[in-house]
Amino acid sequence: MKKEDIVKLISAEGMEFVIDKEAAMVSQTIRNMLTSPGGFAEAEHGEVTFPEISAVILEKICQYFYWSLQYSRGKETEFHIEPELTLELMMAANYLHT
Amino acid sequence: MTMNERKTIDLEQGWEFMQKGITKLKNILEGLPEPQFSSEDYMMLYTTIYNMYTQKPPHDYSQQLYDKYRESFEEYITSSVLPSLREKHDEFMLRELVKRWTNHKVMVRWLSRFFHYLNRYFIARRSLPPLNEVGLTCFRELVYQEVNAKVRDAVISLIDQEREAAYYSRKAANWIVDDSCPDYMLKAEECLKREKDRVSNYLHSSSEPKLLEKVQHELLSVWANRLLDKEHSGCHALLRDDKVEDLSRMFRLFSKIPRGLDPVSSTFKQHVTAEGTALVKLAEDAASTKKAEKRDVVGLQEQVFVRKVIELHDKYLAYMNDCFQNHTLFHKVLKEAFEAFCNKGVAGSSSAELLATFCDNILKKGGSEKLSDEAIEETLEKVVKLLAYISDKDLFAEFYRKKLARRLLFDKSANDDHERSILTKLKQQCGGQFTSKMEGMVTDLTLARENQTNFEEYLSNNRNANPGIDLTVTVLTTGFWPSYKSFDLNLPAEMIKCVEVFRDFYQTKTKHRKLTWMYSLGTCNLIGKFEPKTMELIVTTYQASALLLFNSSDRLSYSEIMIQLNLTDDDVVRLLHSLSCAKYKILNKEPNTKTISSTDQFEFNSKFTDKMRRIKIPLPPVDEKKKVIEDVDKDRRYAIDASIVRIMKSRKVLGHQQLVMECVEQLGRMFKPDFKVIKKRIEDLITRDYLERDKDNPNMFRYLA
Repeated sequence: MKKEDIVKLISAEGMEFVIDKEAAMVSQTIRNMLTSPGGFAEAEHGEVTFPEISAVILEKICQYFYWSLQYSRGKETEFHIEPELTLELMMAANYLHT
Repeated sequence: MTMNERKTIDLEQGWEFMQKGITKLKNILEGLPEPQFSSEDYMMLYTTIYNMYTQKPPHDYSQQLYDKYRESFEEYITSSVLPSLREKHDEFMLRELVKRWTNHKVMVRWLSRFFHYLNRYFIARRSLPPLNEVGLTCFRELVYQEVNAKVRDAVISLIDQEREAAYYSRKAANWIVDDSCPDYMLKAEECLKREKDRVSNYLHSSSEPKLLEKVQHELLSVWANRLLDKEHSGCHALLRDDKVEDLSRMFRLFSKIPRGLDPVSSTFKQHVTAEGTALVKLAEDAASTKKAEKRDVVGLQEQVFVRKVIELHDKYLAYMNDCFQNHTLFHKVLKEAFEAFCNKGVAGSSSAELLATFCDNILKKGGSEKLSDEAIEETLEKVVKLLAYISDKDLFAEFYRKKLARRLLFDKSANDDHERSILTKLKQQCGGQFTSKMEGMVTDLTLARENQTNFEEYLSNNRNANPGIDLTVTVLTTGFWPSYKSFDLNLPAEMIKCVEVFRDFYQTKTKHRKLTWMYSLGTCNLIGKFEPKTMELIVTTYQASALLLFNSSDRLSYSEIMIQLNLTDDDVVRLLHSLSCAKYKILNKEPNTKTISSTDQFEFNSKFTDKMRRIKIPLPPVDEKKKVIEDVDKDRRYAIDASIVRIMKSRKVLGHQQLVMECVEQLGRMFKPDFKVIKKRIEDLITRDYLERDKDNPNMFRYLA
């Protein structure tokens, strides 16, 4: 996989999630950050840390990204959310503008 | 997200953190060295805003954050952006403006991202303009309002300049092909004038020089060489045909572009040098067709040459004024051109001699130049100006002095005032030392006349001191006058008495002076009792002495005459020739050939007569040229010696090259010393213990006190 096509999302515990850039851009916040002019230093390209999002939530968010992409391409499936995650997931979604 | 764990962020604290981020952004925009934003920084900033916004009141700082956002822009604009725009003008201002606008857009984008959360909810709730609009509005209100007018002007002038340049480069390309040089220049001048008018009416005055420069560049610099070299109408042709007006225009136009005058001035120099050299050649050719025996005498052709050079000089001096506005570059070039050909001799006579002879002709009675007083003054002035171009000024001085002496002694000077006036001019040009001796000579004559009056008084008071002949003595101060050879002529008895009488008289006046008699310069009036009629003969003292010998004998041989007179062969030959082989044959010679030989015999020609009562028998002067050159060379050697010693005395130690250079510089006002001669003089001074060579470095000299 080419370096330019992926991003790494790091949770509060330090767990790293590697996903496609296209998927990550579903989040407005992440998209803004990655497309800012004046660029980031090469070394830090494609790595975003979320010190306030736990790994579990972050995982779910990544899943959501991919589901969103699929949905917009026509594959209309359901996205299942575990109830106990709901609140935190919503807040993360708010934060990430997703 | 664990809400409970979150600490409440204070406005000041939070803002301080934000401020750091904003400052970092500003630094990056200003181009200061700053590490780029990392994604971590970004997240932190974003998160801080998020947190400050979502805190429970009274800690939800959304309104304050919104205001702070706007304030950041305002602060940045007022403190950095506006001042930098204010201090620049025109094109630079425009550039700065563009830069600042780009920066501003970046800034808006970044800050909006940081403050993004506000955008999402706060603004919608309160129906406020979104963040990026806020940012842009700030810029408009603060920056645009202020620089608006200036910007417009600057842009207009830039557009115009671009337009003009393109327009003119096309026009110029057409004209250069079609037009002759003068026509092209006329059009160029018109265009420049039009642009100048236009600028003063419509555009900012600061754009004028740039605009004109552009036009000039397109019209002139680009095509300069082609224009000037145009075969039939270019610079060279204009000079040839004396097109004064066109040349003035050329000067005016080209003086404005950098280095524009260099090709013009060098063409001018070439032209002048060519004309001058042509004159020299003309005179040389004319001179070479003359007969061999007349070659040493500076003749009519050479006089014509000098006159023509003067005319040429006048013409180009007029050009200096009319065309070239007395520009120093052209003066320099003219000087170089004249120096180049003025120092060439014609037919064996150096230019120094030619000039001196020219002056002589003007100043003497019966000279070939018959001019009014004013014309004479003018001509003399011009001659003195030409003297500036001649490198051997001392040679000129010597020739002039010799001829002046001749004029003064034989009463051939036409006008005393003119003599004094040219001396004044020479003094102005070359300094007092140049003319001091000559002035002395002129003064001597005045004194001599006084002296003579006193002598006559003395004679009338002392009856017994009668020389028996009318005697006029001119007393000269030795130092002023050129050196003359004087031989101990055996005077006839009658004259000896005269000499004694005068000597007695002179003793009564001054005791401390020594009189040396120069018989070679004297004249004598003799009464010749010829059979047809008595005639008066005006002859030199030498000739008179020879003729008086025939009072005691009818017939004398060459050798007898020589012994009796005690003169050299040269002198005897000359004087006998003048008396027997020239126009008036006072003596008969056997054999009756045209030249004198040592075996000839001479007899008084009692039958001699002429329709005049009184005749002058000229004794042709010895050619002084060689002697003058010898004298000048000798003087030069002394001058070089003195100069070297002077330089070494003040410097103590000096290298060979430098010594030579300083010497040349010091003496340059009078003549151009030859390097070899200087070298010889240095050697000479070393043997005379004035200088020594440095032991380690043979090229260094040391002064010996």
